[in-house]
Amino acid sequence: MEFRTYLSFLIPGVAEEGEMTRLTISIVAILLISGIGVTAIGQKIMDSATDATKNKTAASAVTTAPGEDVFKANCSRCHAPPSSMSQRITGTVTMHMRVRARLSRQDEILLMRYLAP
Amino acid sequence: MHARRGVIIALVLTLLVDIPLRLNAQSVQIDENHAGYIPAISGGMGYIHKIDGGIPTLEPQIDPVLLIAVGSRILFESRTDFTGVYQKEMLTSGSYTGKVYTDVAFAQIDWLANSHVNAVAGRYLLPFGLYSERLQPIWIKNLQDAPITAAIGTRTSGSGDGFMLRGVATQRASYAIQYTAYFSVFTNITQLQSARTAGGDASVFFNRPRLEIGTSYQRFLQDHQINSVATYLSWQPASSALDIKCEGDYSYNGRGYWLESAYRFQNVQIPPLLQRFQVVGRWQGFFPLNGGGNSLPRVTTRQLDVGLNYYIRDNLRLVSSFGRTFNPQLDANSWNFGLTYRFLFPAWPKRAK
Repeated sequence: MEFRTYLSFLIPGVAEEGEMTRLTISIVAILLISGIGVTAIGQKIMDSATDATKNKTAASAVTTAPGEDVFKANCSRCHAPPSSMSQRITGTVTMHMRVRARLSRQDEILLMRYLAP
Repeated sequence: MHARRGVIIALVLTLLVDIPLRLNAQSVQIDENHAGYIPAISGGMGYIHKIDGGIPTLEPQIDPVLLIAVGSRILFESRTDFTGVYQKEMLTSGSYTGKVYTDVAFAQIDWLANSHVNAVAGRYLLPFGLYSERLQPIWIKNLQDAPITAAIGTRTSGSGDGFMLRGVATQRASYAIQYTAYFSVFTNITQLQSARTAGGDASVFFNRPRLEIGTSYQRFLQDHQINSVATYLSWQPASSALDIKCEGDYSYNGRGYWLESAYRFQNVQIPPLLQRFQVVGRWQGFFPLNGGGNSLPRVTTRQLDVGLNYYIRDNLRLVSSFGRTFNPQLDANSWNFGLTYRFLFPAWPKRAK
């Protein structure tokens, strides 16, 4: 029991009332983070209406190169693009991604052209 | 005997490195771009300081991935995880002691047969749900603690030894259907342990909303034969840095779920230094069946995790998280602080012209 630790702040519901309150607090926390994202989406849409440069970024799915779309649609489901990559290994890396992300041959070629134009 | 073994090893190494280099020049011309097929070393490393229920644990880790392409259709890839686990002698007092655990996560040969089929043979990560194959690397996961249900569908070592087919079944402008099917044999060889299992995964990805819905199935084919099933959803809206993932899992030993949401402030109009932050939240629950076990809790357990990560660079970040576990036996806090780094570089020096 001495290893047991507790929340450093008091929430009566957490301490006493049990499952429903815990669940509610946790869901609120998750939704809060989601809410930040959704709010940011709205903010971005408003910004994009007034700024052509930002609009280009916000509508990246429509205006970007096909290879970048392949990256965003597949690789970005798990991770961000590498900040830099030697062109000497882009073929090897895209083969790895073709297997890992289950890409078609066409998408592999588009991805290679994006990473090593 | 030793001399003969040395010659064989030297021959294999020469073949592994030299033949790919000779074939690669042709591949570059075929693909009409500047992509090269030089062997590469990728992977992640990091250091995590955990405090779980008041017990501190130091976890340095490095997981190098070796990629060797033979032409543009055959790829050898391997990842070995080196994880140090150091705890105090009396758990909360005394000096730190521990050891480094080594695990061959995968060592496989991929044959990129055609646009729809990739054949894999060797040791591979078991494709079950979102976590095992995709989110587990230290430099990818937003929260360093795995979901409770990560133990479902990945017995006994998280990897399988056998063969696998995977690829995209059909691809249209608006959606793509991707699949994996595998069979693994039982082995008890050191570093290569695996169970006799068969299973698969299928998912549909909708391009416009960037929404993926998938399901995984595994039949455990040794000892007590059981089925495990997962259903998952992943959503990354195109106009935001929001990342939502959730998964529900079921097996003989229990059922559970997790919901994770992460957001990076990179596109928000705030000072650049603050744009590097990422907030993460995850709620999960697990409900044991038939007594639980097999690396799963034996009592109903719920857990909340919240994290704050800071991207110093795209491949270097500070990570931190707080978790609170709720179960009838013990409610406990867990803290994680650390640093993760992703590396990627050629494994062969540039040839002088």
